Amino acid sequence: MLEYSEPVAKLIDEFKRLPGIGHKSAQRLAFFILRLPNEKVESFVSALREVKEKIVFCDVCNNLTDVNPCMYCASQSRDRSIICVVEEPYNLVAVEKTRSYKGLYHILHGSLSPIRGIGPDELMISNIFPRLSPENNDDVEVKEVIIATNPTTEGEATANYLARLLKPLGVKTTRIAMGMPVGSDLEFVDEVTMDKAMSNRREM
Amino acid sequence: MILETLEATNFRNLSGKITCAAGLNIIAGDNGHGKTNWLEAIYLLATTKSFKTARLTEAVNFGETLAIVRGIVRQSAGISRSVQVAIEGNTKILTVNDKRETVQRFLGQLHALLFNSDELSIVRGSPDARRKFLDGGIVAIFPAFIQTLSDFNRTLRQKNALLQKAHKDELSLEETAKRLEPWNEQLIQNAAKIHKARVRYVERLNEDLEKQLFEKEVVSIRYLSSLEGKGDLNNYAELLEERLKIRVQAELSAGYSLIGPHRDDLEISFDGRDLRKFGSSGQQRSALLILQLSTLSAYFSQHNEYPLFLLDDIDAELDYKRIGRLLEFLSDKTQTFVTTSKESFVQRFGAGAEIINVKNGEALRAETVSNFEI
Ligand SMILES: [Zn+2]
Repeated sequence: MLEYSEPVAKLIDEFKRLPGIGHKSAQRLAFFILRLPNEKVESFVSALREVKEKIVFCDVCNNLTDVNPCMYCASQSRDRSIICVVEEPYNLVAVEKTRSYKGLYHILHGSLSPIRGIGPDELMISNIFPRLSPENNDDVEVKEVIIATNPTTEGEATANYLARLLKPLGVKTTRIAMGMPVGSDLEFVDEVTMDKAMSNRREM
Repeated sequence: MILETLEATNFRNLSGKITCAAGLNIIAGDNGHGKTNWLEAIYLLATTKSFKTARLTEAVNFGETLAIVRGIVRQSAGISRSVQVAIEGNTKILTVNDKRETVQRFLGQLHALLFNSDELSIVRGSPDARRKFLDGGIVAIFPAFIQTLSDFNRTLRQKNALLQKAHKDELSLEETAKRLEPWNEQLIQNAAKIHKARVRYVERLNEDLEKQLFEKEVVSIRYLSSLEGKGDLNNYAELLEERLKIRVQAELSAGYSLIGPHRDDLEISFDGRDLRKFGSSGQQRSALLILQLSTLSAYFSQHNEYPLFLLDDIDAELDYKRIGRLLEFLSDKTQTFVTTSKESFVQRFGAGAEIINVKNGEALRAETVSNFEI
């Protein structure tokens, strides 16, 4: 027998599909929706529909966008000789916030993780290679690929895998440095971060 | 560091407050009354974990919702701090001086080493127990090592998943090797760190090993790498890389990772013979204690103080002659907590010790022979 009437149970099941949502949270969300006034529910539903209708993957960099190619790939003011590879679109947003990076992006939509069944074929890797030819890049040669995947085991493996593919093509491949958060007092940096920062030290 | 007082509320059947001596504390009482629960409470303050259960909710007294264990820890002559672990449902609330702290910060407050019959798996169980013993000792000295271990284990799990998938999908040897490379590279990096740390730690343990404290036979230990005899262990990373390359086919057929420090062991011998195979039960207990004493010394040489030493049911494990040697060795070193159910134990070793009688979980102070000394 169902705990709740069928429409409620169905809604709970749908919420449970979302990442990080367990049964309890799904119930809370379902009852939140049930108590919302009709017009709020309508606007929620149309937001969901709209995002699926209007947002596509950029053909060039895989960014999620409502124009194709996306605003970064189409921009005349970006430096087309550098590509920064990130795991997720929100990692792109984080790099953009620095305002110091003016190059292009490539979004993999994940990182290698055999445990979760994610191999090279499940990532959006292959369309980076045509980008390295000037004829596909407004006649600009790509001089450097910066790999900015996360400093996790999976992010490191992904970076390593990419570097092995890119280096033989003669393109300079770099990895962002990991270490100390800026503005932090040495006293408050945990030992693990300190350890990483020490092993990534640079000459002055 | 010294645990000055210890209080428990709704933690198992415990109640009351213990005032601890800086040296030996004897927790006495009949079996089933909760002596070991008091050790568990101290262990909880030191590690935020129980040595009896992985599910801390089980330690909350039946019918209650909140259990609290609280202690006053003297860090130095001038500094004492209250440390508290509260268990409410599935959450654990850690506080230092009544201010909530992260696990990381909390763990720095109190250190303890445990001797009980479960720990005997170190001397007679599988290699896994001995690797854990070494890794735990290293983490107590270099906390950042825990990240190396966790990165290594995560990489290993990913690699095993990859090997299983490759096996199932009948991936070619070449393609498997290519996909393994990024994982093997990280595996090698962390494996080399683990190998170096363990070898150095065993050297350190050897320096302080009281080889003949309890028996006439000599106890010796040696780190046994699974790559021994395969090449130059001083260039561990290179050797492992080479072995991994040679063994891709074997790993693919097995469906899991076959080489690395997760296959290593600590060899423990008694007069040159394998303790696990040839040692008597008493010799194994003596050897475990010797290993633990040298763990205490290694900790001391790094931090210039000793962790607390918790010995459960010590007289079920050792005879009085050996206990006498042990307590003599520990005096002037560790703050020690032992549990016993024997009146004769208290009579024999109680002079100068704090004696706590436990009845139905309640701690009753029996007599005070000692004062605090730091
Ligand atoms: Zn784009």
